[in-house]
Amino acid sequence: MTEAWHPVAASSDLPLRHTFHGQLLGRELAIWRADGGFVNVWENRCLHRGVRLSIGLNDGRELQCQYHGWRYASRTAGCTYIPAHPADAPARTICNRSFLAFERYGLVWTGESPAGELPTVEVLEAADPFGLRNLPVNASAELVIEMLHGHGFQPNAKLDNFGAEIAVQSYGEHCRVLSAMAGGSTTTVVFFVQPVDASRSVIRPVMVGVPEPLVQTDVLRHHNAKLTELRDRIESEAARLPALQPLSAAIEQVPIHLSEVPIGAIGRRKAPLRVQVARKWQTATDIVAIEFESIDGQLPTFQPGAHIDVHLPNGLVRQYSLTNGPGELTHYRVGVKLEAESRGGSASLHETVREGDVVAISEPRNNFPLRRDSLRTVLIAGGIGVTPLLAMAQALHHNDLRYELHYFARADDHVAFRTILDELGDSTQAHLGLSPGGTAAELERILDQPGHAEHVYVCGPGPMLEATRRIAADRGWPDEAVHFEYFQNATEIDDTTSFEINLARSALTLRVGSGETILEVLHQHGVSLGSSCEQGACGTCSVAVLDGEPLHQDVYLSEAERELGDQMMVCVSRTNGKSLTLDI
Amino acid sequence: MITLYNWDLSVNCYKQRLLLSILDVEYESIPVDFYPGWEHKSAEFKRINPLGHIPVIVDDGYKLRDAHAILTYLASKYDPSGRWYPASDPHLLGETAQWMLFAEGTTNTASAARLHVNLGYEFDIEVLREGAHELFRALDEHLWFREREGLDWVTSSPHPTIADLAIFPDVMLSEEGGISRLDYPAIRRWTDRVRRIEGFVVMPGMFEAAKGAPK
Repeated sequence: MTEAWHPVAASSDLPLRHTFHGQLLGRELAIWRADGGFVNVWENRCLHRGVRLSIGLNDGRELQCQYHGWRYASRTAGCTYIPAHPADAPARTICNRSFLAFERYGLVWTGESPAGELPTVEVLEAADPFGLRNLPVNASAELVIEMLHGHGFQPNAKLDNFGAEIAVQSYGEHCRVLSAMAGGSTTTVVFFVQPVDASRSVIRPVMVGVPEPLVQTDVLRHHNAKLTELRDRIESEAARLPALQPLSAAIEQVPIHLSEVPIGAIGRRKAPLRVQVARKWQTATDIVAIEFESIDGQLPTFQPGAHIDVHLPNGLVRQYSLTNGPGELTHYRVGVKLEAESRGGSASLHETVREGDVVAISEPRNNFPLRRDSLRTVLIAGGIGVTPLLAMAQALHHNDLRYELHYFARADDHVAFRTILDELGDSTQAHLGLSPGGTAAELERILDQPGHAEHVYVCGPGPMLEATRRIAADRGWPDEAVHFEYFQNATEIDDTTSFEINLARSALTLRVGSGETILEVLHQHGVSLGSSCEQGACGTCSVAVLDGEPLHQDVYLSEAERELGDQMMVCVSRTNGKSLTLDI
Repeated sequence: MITLYNWDLSVNCYKQRLLLSILDVEYESIPVDFYPGWEHKSAEFKRINPLGHIPVIVDDGYKLRDAHAILTYLASKYDPSGRWYPASDPHLLGETAQWMLFAEGTTNTASAARLHVNLGYEFDIEVLREGAHELFRALDEHLWFREREGLDWVTSSPHPTIADLAIFPDVMLSEEGGISRLDYPAIRRWTDRVRRIEGFVVMPGMFEAAKGAPK
């Protein structure tokens, strides 16, 4: 039975922002419709502490557990936010169990491990389905099916009479088609029976053809009354039979590492996803927008602030931030600015890559996580740096959190993604054509009053980032309230030093010579470590430092983090000392 | 000023707190140590209510007991719109009274089951659970057909009444008494709607509902 498709809800049971409580073969389900219409069928337990997700909050894009507030994205059931770790990005692998779901004949269908296509019922293919009231029954599906053979009702045209002739057809194990005939008229109803548990079922009847509007209520009441009579008979019969043991559905074990946050990536520059360029369009002067769609299956969960590595046809790997709003998982959308001094990355995406092309990308990685416990969030974007902030703004907007998005651009025609900005409305403000001095003055105004539990996120060109960080510090914003993401590291990297690295976990001591990076030496010796930009901007190759004094050359760590000296970006940072002990 | 003799974990006291919050009426709460202090059975409290139960209100010297009677009084006095207790419409008034009586049933079954499980009251728990399921089946059917008519509440009014508030907590906390609502999807949707009423407050054991979709 676990290989069969079963109905588990009526489509009308799933109004927007509701979470339906269902059960199939002993397994409880949380079923909810996202605002876009997508129906999610999930195991009814939050993988964090096992609380029922059916009492969770459906916000239209994500489902939030009531217990510790973990949020899960529509479609993937992947975790997007953990309130107890507001500054961290949840590991991509934290994901609730979800089941395939389809809507057909006004019902939601799923299965534990359904084999083959969702079956069709011919009579329902020929005419429009009309959903009757579904009835739960305290009896096994087998008994319900058996007793449906004695069920009777009147054709729609003869509701007030009685004694219609009934013809029954079997349609597989859990479906019976009954036709009532009287005085030359016939009405056919398909009865699907959902096995809820060993001794509980739901009868889900669907009429073939929609009755005239004037008689619909009478038809619905007639069938509800007849089915209630049938239910009484079935339940009396069930009470005579020996009681059945409830089914127990096996709950998949969650690997222990999933309860730890965050998890370092392993392996380097992997591009496990193949996606197709579904749409590419000019969104502003020198900026193209590109939407990638999955070729095979669901795209993985992303969080606001996340980026993907795009492996280009010319062999280059570039990082682009996702601009998607929460729960938008039918595609990934990025914005690419044509750089005047392009080393081939942006030029390739602008000129070579076309709609329909297949490219390899990494799973989304989030080194710029967004807190959702901030009382006010100030988003500051410079030019193409708007992309991760657009994802953040949409998440904040959708969660009704207070925020403002300041978008600094050269001129009106350099403002990208206007459709998204229009949806965000009044919380966004464009600052156009300002000189460096004018920008600084505007930043001073924006950052004038730091408040308790308020946070600033800034992304843009290096000089603007530095100005923002400096002004924020001057105005009294604490270091940990100012979050930033550089596109690139403009620092002149000194790679002349040579030193030893002790790998505490791998029990290896290696030598890093001048002209080599720690990351390169690690890879040469088969030590697996994730990396992405390889210029000290993205934060992916962060490693914990156990001993020794790092010489930081990245732009990822804040001043306070640098001073702590307990982590470093091994793609660019080194030491002036003799050795470093790293937690690898 | 209204004084409410109150216990936080009592559904019947919560019904008053809920209506007062929705109507935005200030009141003073006097805690009665219902459990484990058994204060409502004390000689002192019996001077306030000889029947020895809560809630009781005193409004400017006017004293009233019994949850559903108090709801009727508060709505009549403090809701100038007349929608929460629709006294001027005979049909709606009749339906409101009918569903208030239904609420006596849910209180005596679903909420009684909760007293048995949480506080050890000696009731025949199976009888209470069966009784609650019978009422829930009727309520689910009723609300399903209401939805088909485009109506959201237990009466045919387009606005909720005190009957919705009288039934709601018995239903919303039924799982504490071992009564699952899995078989009652129309009831579950109605509890979302009640929890979205402006001024809604929770009591221990319940959560707020997700905000409704923008219209």
